[in-house]
Amino acid sequence: MEKKLKSRFNLLENVYINYILIGILFLIAIPLNQAGIIGGSVLITLGSVILYSVVGIGMNILLGYAGLITLGGAGFMGLAAYLSAYFTRDLNMPFLFSLIFSVGIPIIIGIGIGLISLRLGGYYLAIATLGIGEVLKQVFIEYDVFTGGFSGKSAGYINLFGLQFDRIGTYALYAVILIFALIIGHNIVNSATGRAFMTMRSSEAAAQAMGIRMLKYKVLAFVIATIYSTIGGIMYMHLIKFSFPTTWGLGMSLNFLSIVVIGGMKAIAGPVVGALFVIAFPDLVLKNIPIIGTSPGVAYIFNGVLIVVVLLFYNRGLIKIFTDAKVLIKKLIGGK
Amino acid sequence: MKDNPIFRNDMILKIEDLSISFGGIKAVDAVSFEVNEKEIYGLIGPNGAGKTTIFNIITQFYKPDNGKVYFKDKDLKWKNLIDYKTHDVVKTGLIRTFQNLELIQDLSLLDNLLVGSHTFYKSTALEQALRMPRAVKEERKFRNKAMEIMKLLNISDKAYELVYGQPYGILKKVELGRTLMSEPRMIILDEPAAGLNERETAELADILKHIRTDYDTTIFLVEHDMGLVMDICDRICAISFGEKLAEGTPAEIQNNSFVQEAYLGSEEGELAE
Ligand SMILES: Nc1ncnc2c1ncn2[C@@H]1O[C@H](COP(=O)(O)OP(=O)(O)OP(=O)(O)O)[C@@H](O)[C@H]1O
Ligand SMILES: [Mg+2]
Repeated sequence: MEKKLKSRFNLLENVYINYILIGILFLIAIPLNQAGIIGGSVLITLGSVILYSVVGIGMNILLGYAGLITLGGAGFMGLAAYLSAYFTRDLNMPFLFSLIFSVGIPIIIGIGIGLISLRLGGYYLAIATLGIGEVLKQVFIEYDVFTGGFSGKSAGYINLFGLQFDRIGTYALYAVILIFALIIGHNIVNSATGRAFMTMRSSEAAAQAMGIRMLKYKVLAFVIATIYSTIGGIMYMHLIKFSFPTTWGLGMSLNFLSIVVIGGMKAIAGPVVGALFVIAFPDLVLKNIPIIGTSPGVAYIFNGVLIVVVLLFYNRGLIKIFTDAKVLIKKLIGGK
Repeated sequence: MKDNPIFRNDMILKIEDLSISFGGIKAVDAVSFEVNEKEIYGLIGPNGAGKTTIFNIITQFYKPDNGKVYFKDKDLKWKNLIDYKTHDVVKTGLIRTFQNLELIQDLSLLDNLLVGSHTFYKSTALEQALRMPRAVKEERKFRNKAMEIMKLLNISDKAYELVYGQPYGILKKVELGRTLMSEPRMIILDEPAAGLNERETAELADILKHIRTDYDTTIFLVEHDMGLVMDICDRICAISFGEKLAEGTPAEIQNNSFVQEAYLGSEEGELAE
């Protein structure tokens, strides 16, 4: 028995290798870009996939594991993006300081809003968070000394300890951040905290009986999702280098729901697969299809159809294709 | 406190004058009884008698209209649980199972047991997220404990399987195992043998006796399986329509005319409808 327990522990650690592999797969784009096989815009698209994945991991913890919904995620992401641009560009703050404030301020606001809105359940929570998201968007529009309003706000690539990142450097950094985001997400859902989230989602009665304070864990899940959102927002700001208030609306928040649902709820790497389909596929594949590709709204239609298909036929998410394929291959090879 | 309840040294739970009604119907009507330390105490009664409701009041899922629930907690201090929030009850050493299982389907058996240790985790979410030494050590400690409990329950071979799709007998054991993870002074079981076959019921009787001695706990159960109740209970309380009928040893309860009538009466009542 001891032995079995130990081997299980090793197995758990081995999951990390999968996450590192995901990061390495993204990194392969760099030599491809340098060899001229893929263009710089593809790198930006893949960089977007990475940052959307990071936000998606947080959303997945909130939605898939804790069973809570938010339609205001984009607002917090945008807030962090603007803060980071403001601190690094307008105030010339070193990036690390800016990072602390750009993550910290939204968290404090998030906790406050969480404490109020998380007493609500289900639909009410969705509507409340939708409202919060829209309020934040309005703030971005109105408060133009800080956000540049409709003319937008710009920022540069990250400068860390005097080391100035360029496009490729930023992309490499983001791939590494993704690895950490995955590992930390994995650790959270496989901890006492993660179990508390899942208990809260599947049985309020069990949670109560086992001493799980519902409000505390709801707020905690909300804060974790906010942290991931803010980091994604900061990554956005220093990759795209430009932000408009309208970017951070309901459409973006819904994108994250798609990413989580399509990729696979309750699978930590699910959002990476989801983001590939929701962000990269329309940009890299759909656009190149003649006639259809250039019609307006095609990406949204593709998204919508994909969600329906996944929910109907593959409700554990597309990430499960990999595990299912593994089983199938083993069957074919092993003949068992 | 205006009234001073009398606590005998060997008591662990004292229920006083408990009443609750739902929409004018008295589901529990002035029920009082006491449970002693290390006892296996049974609560019986026909369907709808109010057994689960009493459990729900004791564990603070319901607040009663009237009455007291005194429990001698881990520090051996008497507490009126009515003053407690539902999620704080477990900290006193009182834990329950549910008549309709409340498990987490998409977690393994092992993880379901670990939920029972929730209040004992000292590491913060951040320490857990970063797998810091304290969090890892703690997790390992509780895993080992869970494995030990699963051994007692004869389910260790399924430790890493999901709860989803497991047979009823296993699910019942997982819920029982989860209660043991909370270092309980008293376990409240709502129909632990429901849905079990004869062999499984006999195994359960053995396990419960083991738990009482090995884990130093009091067991308080609601059960319809009279064979099991009469076999393992030291004392039994019988209720009907929310009212207490009798209390005593299995033999006394079996021969009590009120109890016999209540059980017969309920059947005749059903027939007559
Ligand atoms: N939350 C509630 N709202 C309304 N009525 C309730 C509620 N909980 C229990 N009751 C009623 O209280 C009475 C007692 O129910 P209870 O579940 O305690 O019975 P029981 O003795 O556990 O029965 P069984 O053996 O069938 O489990 C029933 O008439 C039931 O309908
Ligand atoms: Mg009942």
